[in-house]
Amino acid sequence: MAFWFYRGLRRGIATTRYPRSVDRWARDLPSPPVFHSTRLTIGLVDRLVAACPAKALSREQHELVADLGRCTGCGRCADLAYGAVRPSGEFQLAATDRAALIKRVPIRGQEEAGIGDR
Amino acid sequence: MAIDERRPGSELDHLSTELRRRVAKSFGRSLHIRTVDTGSCAVCESEIRLLTAPHYDLHRLGFFFTPAPRHADLLLVTGPAVRAADNLLLKAFDATPDPKVVIAVGACALGGVYTEDELVHGSIDRVLPVDVFVPGCPPSPLALLQGLLVAVGRLEERVSALSLDLDFRAAGEA
Amino acid sequence: MTHAIAGLAIAAAGSWLAAAAAGVGATRRAGLATCTVISGLGGAAATTCGVLLAVHGAGPTLRLGAGPVGGATFHIAPLAAPFIALLGLVAVAIALYCPRYHDPAPGTAAYLLVYNLALLASLAVLIAGNVVAFLVAWETMALLCYLMILRHHRRTGVAEGAFLFIALSEVGFVMIVLAFAILATHTGSLDLVTIAARARHVHAGWRAAAYVLALCGFGFKAGLVPFHIWLPAAHPVAPADGSAFLSGLVIKLGVYGIALFGFTLLPGGPAWWGLVTMGFGAISAVLGILYALIERDLKRFLAYSSIENIGIIVTALGAGMTFTAYGQHAIGAFLLIVALYHTVNHGTYKTLLFLEAGVIEHASGTRDLDRLGGLIRRLPRTAVICLIGTVAIAALPPLNGFVSEWMLFQGLFQGFRISSHLVGILIVIAGALIALTGGLAINAFARAYGIPFLGMARSGQAANAREAQQPLAGPALLAGACVFLGIGAPLVLTALDRVARATAGIDIRSELIVPKLTVIPAHTDFSGFSPTYLAACLLAMTVVPILIFLAGRPRARSRRPPVWDGGILDFRARMQYTATTHANPVRVTFEPLYRPSVHVERASDDPAGRSGPVHYRFQVTPIFERYLYRPVIRLVQTLANLARPIQSGDVNLYLFYVFVVVVIAYAVYAL
Repeated sequence: MAFWFYRGLRRGIATTRYPRSVDRWARDLPSPPVFHSTRLTIGLVDRLVAACPAKALSREQHELVADLGRCTGCGRCADLAYGAVRPSGEFQLAATDRAALIKRVPIRGQEEAGIGDR
Repeated sequence: MAIDERRPGSELDHLSTELRRRVAKSFGRSLHIRTVDTGSCAVCESEIRLLTAPHYDLHRLGFFFTPAPRHADLLLVTGPAVRAADNLLLKAFDATPDPKVVIAVGACALGGVYTEDELVHGSIDRVLPVDVFVPGCPPSPLALLQGLLVAVGRLEERVSALSLDLDFRAAGEA
Repeated sequence: MTHAIAGLAIAAAGSWLAAAAAGVGATRRAGLATCTVISGLGGAAATTCGVLLAVHGAGPTLRLGAGPVGGATFHIAPLAAPFIALLGLVAVAIALYCPRYHDPAPGTAAYLLVYNLALLASLAVLIAGNVVAFLVAWETMALLCYLMILRHHRRTGVAEGAFLFIALSEVGFVMIVLAFAILATHTGSLDLVTIAARARHVHAGWRAAAYVLALCGFGFKAGLVPFHIWLPAAHPVAPADGSAFLSGLVIKLGVYGIALFGFTLLPGGPAWWGLVTMGFGAISAVLGILYALIERDLKRFLAYSSIENIGIIVTALGAGMTFTAYGQHAIGAFLLIVALYHTVNHGTYKTLLFLEAGVIEHASGTRDLDRLGGLIRRLPRTAVICLIGTVAIAALPPLNGFVSEWMLFQGLFQGFRISSHLVGILIVIAGALIALTGGLAINAFARAYGIPFLGMARSGQAANAREAQQPLAGPALLAGACVFLGIGAPLVLTALDRVARATAGIDIRSELIVPKLTVIPAHTDFSGFSPTYLAACLLAMTVVPILIFLAGRPRARSRRPPVWDGGILDFRARMQYTATTHANPVRVTFEPLYRPSVHVERASDDPAGRSGPVHYRFQVTPIFERYLYRPVIRLVQTLANLARPIQSGDVNLYLFYVFVVVVIAYAVYAL
C-alpha cells in the first residue's frame, strides 16, 4: 500500500477542527499586542509609537490608541518593552465595523526611570 | 442601492447593516467566493490559497472558490485599491449579483499601509461598501476562516469585546 | 414531352446566343440589364428542360448535317439532366447578380459576351451526341472560360492563374481526345449512342486504356488531386460571378465526363476502375479540405473546398462502379444517384458562396480573412444568406449537404455486402477518409463564416462595409434552392432515380423512398431517415424553449450589468482569433503534410513584449508543383533542348533535310 496512506491512517485526520475548537499552536502566530496599562508611561508610549512601522499605535493625551487594522504582528513593540507589551495570541479579529478595530488603552503607569524600559 | 448610499457612515448604513446581516446568513452553508486583487503583494493571496489545502479545508464548511463574479456570493478583496484597478474592482462588484458580501482582507485593504494619493485609494472601503474587515499582514488562514464565518453569521465577531488592557480586563473596557 | 424538352433546350441555347449579342451593348446600364435578363430567361429554360428530362427519363436527338467528320449530333441523354438543371439554376442566379456587381464598361461588355457564349458551350457539351460535337464544344468552353478569367488581366495573379487553367485544360483535352479516339476507332463510329452499344465488344485492354485516359483527362477539368493545381490559382482571380460559374458548373463538366465514360459508354467495367476512381476521389477530398483550412484568402479557400467536394462526388461514382462490378446493382445505382445529387447540391451552395464572397469583397474591399470581421452587423441580409450556404456546405441538418453526405456514408458503409473482403475494407477506408473530410469541413466553414462575419472588424475596410447596392436576389434564390433540395429531397431523389434507371438500367424507387418520405440506402434493413420530417421536427423543437422561457421568466425585474469580460478596459479587435490562429490545431497536427517553412523575425533583441513587431511567416510547401509538375516540366524542357540542334537556323541544313526526305521518298516509292 502507498506509504502516505499508511502514514495517514496512523496519524489520523489532519484537518483543523476550527471553528469547533481552536488549535493550540494558533497562539504562536503573529498577533497584535496587548498592554499592561499600569506599566505604560508617556515616554514609553511615545517610543512605542515611533517604533511601530505600520503606524498602528498613536497617543491621544493619556490614551494609547492601537489600530488593529493596521497592525502587522511584527512584534517590534513587544520587543522594545517586553514587560509592558506582549503578543496577544489572538487571531479572531474579523470586524463588521472598522471602528471596532480601534482600541484605546489608558496610560496608567507613572513616569519612573528604569521600570518598563529595556 | 447605489454604492454611495451604502458607504460607511451614511444615513442608511445602520438600517442596511441589519438587513445585510440577515441576508448574509442565508448563505450559511453554501457560499461561493471570488477573490479580487487590487494591487496587493500576493502574500494575502497565498494565505487565501491555503484555505483549500487539506489542513484548513474550506470545502468542509460548504465554501467554494469561483473564478466568475457572476457566480459569486462574496468578494474577497485584497490590496490597497490601486487606482489603476478601479475599473476592474467596480466591474467585478457590478457583475456580482445581489445579495453580495464584501470582505476586505489584510492591512493594505484596511488602510494600514498606503495613504491616499494619486496612485492609490488607500483602503477598499473608500471604493466599495465593506461588510467585514479582516486585519493581519497577512491574516493567517484561520483568521480568514473566522472572517468568512462571521460574514455569513455562523460565528459572532469577537473583536468588539476584545480589550488590549491586560490589567483591567475584568472591567470590560474596550 | 420530348418535343418540349428539345424546344426548351433550343430556347436556352438561343437565349444565350442572344444574350451574348446583347452583351456587346453592356457599356450602358440598359444594355447590361438587357443582357442579364435574356441570360436569366435562358437559364430558366435550361432548368425546366433539365427537370423535365429527369422526370421523363428520355430525351430527343437532333442531327445537324454531315460535315468532314460526320457532322454534329445532339442527344439529350437523361444522365445530363441534373447538369442541365444545375446550369440553368446557376445561370439564373448569376443573371440576378450581375447588374449590381458589374459596372457598365467595355470590359464588362466583352466579359458578358464571353460568359454567355460559355454558357452556350457548356450546354453544348452536355447535349453533345457525337464525339466531334463534344470535343469542339469542350475546347470552346475551355477557351471561353480562359477569356472570362482574364477579365481583370492587369491585376496580379490573373495572368498566371489563367495560364495554369488553360495549360492544364489542354493537357486534359489531349487525354480526352485520345480516349475518344480509342473508342471511336475500335467501335467504328463517332456517335455516342452507337459507341455505347458497341463498346462491350472492344478488347478489355483498350477499354481500360480509354477509361483511365478519360478519368485523368476529365480529372484535370474536375480538379482531382494531383491534377488540381490550376483550381486555387484560377478561381480566385476571376470576377465573383465568373468564379461562381467555374466552381459551380465548369468543374461539374469534368464529373459529367467521368460519369459518361463510367456509366454510359463503358458500363460494367472491372472493379479496379471503380477502386482507382474512388481512390482519386477520397484523396482529393481529404487533401482539398486540408489545404483549404490554412488559407487566408476567402476565394482560394472556396476553391480548395470545391476540390474537396469534387473528391466526394467522384468517390461516390467510383464506389458505385465497384458495387456494380461485384453484383450489388442496387447500391451501385444508389451511389450514382448520390453522386448526381451531390453534384447539384454542391453546384448550388458553392455558387452561392462564391457570389457572397464577391459581395464581401465588393463591400469591404478585401478578401483576406484576417482583415475582415463583424460583417454580420454591416451586411445583415448577406450574413443570413451566407449562413444558409455555410450550413449547407458543412453538411449540417436539415439542409441538402447533410442529406447527400448521409446517403454517401450509408452507401459506403454497406461495403460488407461485397464478397471480396479486401475491396470491402478499401471501401470502408474511403468512408473513413470522407468522414475525416466531413469533420475538417465543419471546422473550415466555422472559420470561414465566423471570422469575417462575427466579432469585431479587424480593419477599417471591414468596419465601413455597406450593404446598399449589394446584389441580394441571386444568392437568395440559391439559398432557397438549398433549403428546397434538402427538405424536398424525396422529390429530387425520385427524379434522380429516373435518371439512374435510364442510365444504369436499374430502378430502385422502392428501395430509395419508402412511405412517410423516408430515404433508405437501397436496402430496407440498413437505415433510413426523412429529411422532410427532420426539418419539421427541428422547427417544432424551437417552440419548446420559447414556451419554457415564457412560462418560467422571473417576475421580479433583474438588473442587467454588462457582460463580465475579466475586467479589461477596452475590447480591441486585435484581441480576437484570426483566421491564421483558428486553423492552428490543424496546422500543427498535419505539419508533415504541409511541410511548412516558418520564419519568425523580431524587430530587436529586447525580451518579448518590448521587442517591437514580430513577423511570423508560414508557407506551405507546394508538394505537387515541386515533386510532380516541376520534374515533368524539366523533362519536357530537356527533351526539347535535345531536339534543338535540328532547328539550327542554318538554311543549308534545312536544304539538306529536304534533299534527304526527297531521296527517301523516291526510295520508298521505288520499292
